[in-house]
Amino acid sequence: MAKMAYYPGNVARAGALEVEDTIQPMCKALNIQLVELPRASSDGGNVIKQATPKLQDALVARNLALAEEKGLDIITACASSHAIMRNTADDMKRDPVYANTVNNLLVRTSGLEYNGESTSHHLLHYLVEHVGLDKIRDAVKNPLNMKVAAYYGPDMQRRGACGQDDPFMPTYMEQLITALGGTPVDYDSKCASVGSTSMLTLEDSSLAMTAAVLSDAIQSGAELVVSACTVSHINLDSYQSKAGRQSGKNTTIPVCHLTEIVAFALGYFPDRFAQLKTRVRLIGS
Amino acid sequence: MAVVAKVWIDEDCITCDACQDICPEVFEVTDETSQILAAVRVDGAFDRNTGGSPLVGTLGAELGDIILEAAEACPVEVIKFELVSEGGDEAPAAEAAVEAVVEPVAAAAAPAAGASEALTAVMGGDRSLNILFGSQTGNAAGLAEKTAKMAANYGLEANVVDMDGFDPARLATMKRVMIITSTWGEGEMPDNADAMWNAINANGPGLAGTHFSVCAIGDSSYDEFCKAGHDWNGKLAALGGQEAFPIKECDVDFEPPWQEWVAEALPRLACVDDSGTLQVELLEEMMAYGAGDDDDIVEGDFAPGIIEREALNITLEVFRYCPEAAQSGWDTLSCAVPGHATVQDLLLTMQRDVDGSLAFRRGSHAGTPTTGVRVNGRVVLADAVMVGDLTAEGGRVRIEPLPGHPVVRDLIVDTSRFENHRSRAEPWMRTDPREGQTLPSGAAMGAVDSAAATALHQAGDVLSFQLIQAMSDTLAHDPHYEGPGVHFQQWLRILDPRTGEKQRQSLLTSLQEKDGVWSEADHASLMRYGEDGRLAARSLNEARSALLNQTRYAGKSGRLVKWYGRSVKWTGNVNETTLYRQVLGPLGLVSNVFSGVSARMALAFTRNGSPPLRGLQGLLFPPAGVGRIPKMFNSKVDDYHEVVSLFNEIDQRF
Repeated sequence: MAKMAYYPGNVARAGALEVEDTIQPMCKALNIQLVELPRASSDGGNVIKQATPKLQDALVARNLALAEEKGLDIITACASSHAIMRNTADDMKRDPVYANTVNNLLVRTSGLEYNGESTSHHLLHYLVEHVGLDKIRDAVKNPLNMKVAAYYGPDMQRRGACGQDDPFMPTYMEQLITALGGTPVDYDSKCASVGSTSMLTLEDSSLAMTAAVLSDAIQSGAELVVSACTVSHINLDSYQSKAGRQSGKNTTIPVCHLTEIVAFALGYFPDRFAQLKTRVRLIGS
Repeated sequence: MAVVAKVWIDEDCITCDACQDICPEVFEVTDETSQILAAVRVDGAFDRNTGGSPLVGTLGAELGDIILEAAEACPVEVIKFELVSEGGDEAPAAEAAVEAVVEPVAAAAAPAAGASEALTAVMGGDRSLNILFGSQTGNAAGLAEKTAKMAANYGLEANVVDMDGFDPARLATMKRVMIITSTWGEGEMPDNADAMWNAINANGPGLAGTHFSVCAIGDSSYDEFCKAGHDWNGKLAALGGQEAFPIKECDVDFEPPWQEWVAEALPRLACVDDSGTLQVELLEEMMAYGAGDDDDIVEGDFAPGIIEREALNITLEVFRYCPEAAQSGWDTLSCAVPGHATVQDLLLTMQRDVDGSLAFRRGSHAGTPTTGVRVNGRVVLADAVMVGDLTAEGGRVRIEPLPGHPVVRDLIVDTSRFENHRSRAEPWMRTDPREGQTLPSGAAMGAVDSAAATALHQAGDVLSFQLIQAMSDTLAHDPHYEGPGVHFQQWLRILDPRTGEKQRQSLLTSLQEKDGVWSEADHASLMRYGEDGRLAARSLNEARSALLNQTRYAGKSGRLVKWYGRSVKWTGNVNETTLYRQVLGPLGLVSNVFSGVSARMALAFTRNGSPPLRGLQGLLFPPAGVGRIPKMFNSKVDDYHEVVSLFNEIDQRF
């Protein structure tokens, strides 16, 4: 069984408990042991960085160092968290003097040091590149049987943070949807931003961006949107009707997390899967 | 790459259409003859261009190789052209007309990148060198040819001149002259020099503006060894000429002494500037310059690489938009292209072979900042990115207009919004007048040390600010947002130590305004575009940090940062409820209640199995300003005091 340090991100154990609910059994089924990092903190969400980049980097490096201490890489289901970890690791690798400064702070405050040996993996890339689509296909018990639009967002879609997938025309999630018995729907906006935490400060722009992604997915024939980013999921789901009203576009479509569709297809939470299918059928497309 | 100055058609064209097929931008074949199109000529006429009107603008560079290809393909060789030398002057190619006497041999070399200003100045203007030979058996003529080739290393344009029939009066108009002559019989001039020698003795011109040097070939077994050379040397000096380097006598084995002479005389003559003055103080630098070029040629230690890649079979999709019909769509075709072809090459080929109405902005194959398009989701410069970097064998190349700008036609976008915002943002320099830092004119100037200049350059070293602008996902959804390309330039100007304090404050105020740097919803959309996007995102984040310091976390954006940081410091985790309360405030929360956001979020009825009412308790607490987070929402991470210590060590404002 592969052992990975688990970083839930900022919302999986707060506003998006369904991620936490589903990732645990899903990983067990795929022989991935999630090792808790009880000392790990928030990564700053690219918000603290706006005040003090060094503080955010120190928080992130501390989390990475906690995994490194256990000799493990980190896995997360949040694209934003994954990108933040990769950015900090890249910045420290690029600038050894800066890395030394951050590590001095970590040693003083936490007795830790990050040496760049542990890195982060997004769940999607880990499933496709390490677990393998064949193994996942074999484990499917309840095929999705839906037209599914994959939402990647911009955070992890850059070279070095998306595995071997194409940063600008990714296909990993579509391959995974196919393996899970669903029908992937291709659409242009799958890597476009929906504003992330700016929904609180730039609501008009964020709503317009959210509406553009959702309506694009709907027009492309999707019945369900699956998000690889737990933060973006808030905008895509909770702000969906508000975005639709503001933009005058059709934005009504069920949105769920990546971990959910994998868990559902592997046979977990059949009641929730039934609920989702009902919603898809009721909303239609 | 060949640069063509002018192209024309000789008589006897057989109208085979080959030239038009290869280069329709320049040639059009009528019933009688091929002609040069008016649009490419300075005189705007449409004929064979026998008058030699030059090509307009940079067309000679852009189409040079294709014109040469057309000339080579012409079965009756009637396409004639002149090439432009690196120095910018015209040097006739093999097909061009050649004077009967003066035969240009070598093109001038451009000054090296590291050349001093003085040397660069000397290398400008008239660089002609006339090498006259008096030869009985051909030895002197051969040495003259070799000398001419070497002259190019010193930036000289050498003409090899046979003395036979040469009017010595022309010597007065020449700034640099070399004479290479043998001696015939008992101290006599070679046959081809006799007439000129007699003429100059009968009526020699004044040579006050002429620098010269003589190489004399002879046989030391004769009494009058090298007499002809000495005669010329004495005559030129007597007529007022300036001896740039003393006469060199060459015996039967003439090559070694000739090499010594040419190695000394050429750089000296090369130091004669456009006014005819010998700049002797530049001699050492000139010799190094000439030797350096020579070394490069001999050792071959540097040669620009030629990148060639295998041909790729691709499906090309190009966005088309016709404003007259208000219709848009895609042109799709399958084709095989060399992997090293640029996106612009693809578009040019498509325009030439498929649809001449395809509209796009052309560049110079050097990363022209205005050639931006989106290809397979990436924003790139069309003239700088190779197809092989964008797709693989059997792949798709989907070319769209640059996002964030209105489309004018096909792939051409209107960048006036960007330019207007930039104009209002005024990111150009207004220097800070400080004592002792003024120009000779008295105008104020800023000062910057090399380290700061280097850092500044690195911070803003991007291909195109238009591309940076197009990287934003927000721009298309906010018509008032000035955009990251503009704000990036403003921040770079703020960082510039030469910027005056008044301008710095003005720029900071501009960045803080409503459509300023806080209007970008997600820097991640920039970060994904490689190093340029990373540089821009980093700079914009630095700008935000500076503004937060200045404004003490004012406004929604400031409150988000402050409360996000505080909630993390208190428990190690983010508390969404706190953020919503503190950032949105009571009115924002009420808006969310009525728009259904709170219902979706708190009741989670659109979610799969999320416990209802989970977040409701937080919303029921008194609104913004209470300042404490109920523990029931956020349990602290283990050893959370370490997180607190980090905050205290780095930023105690939270």
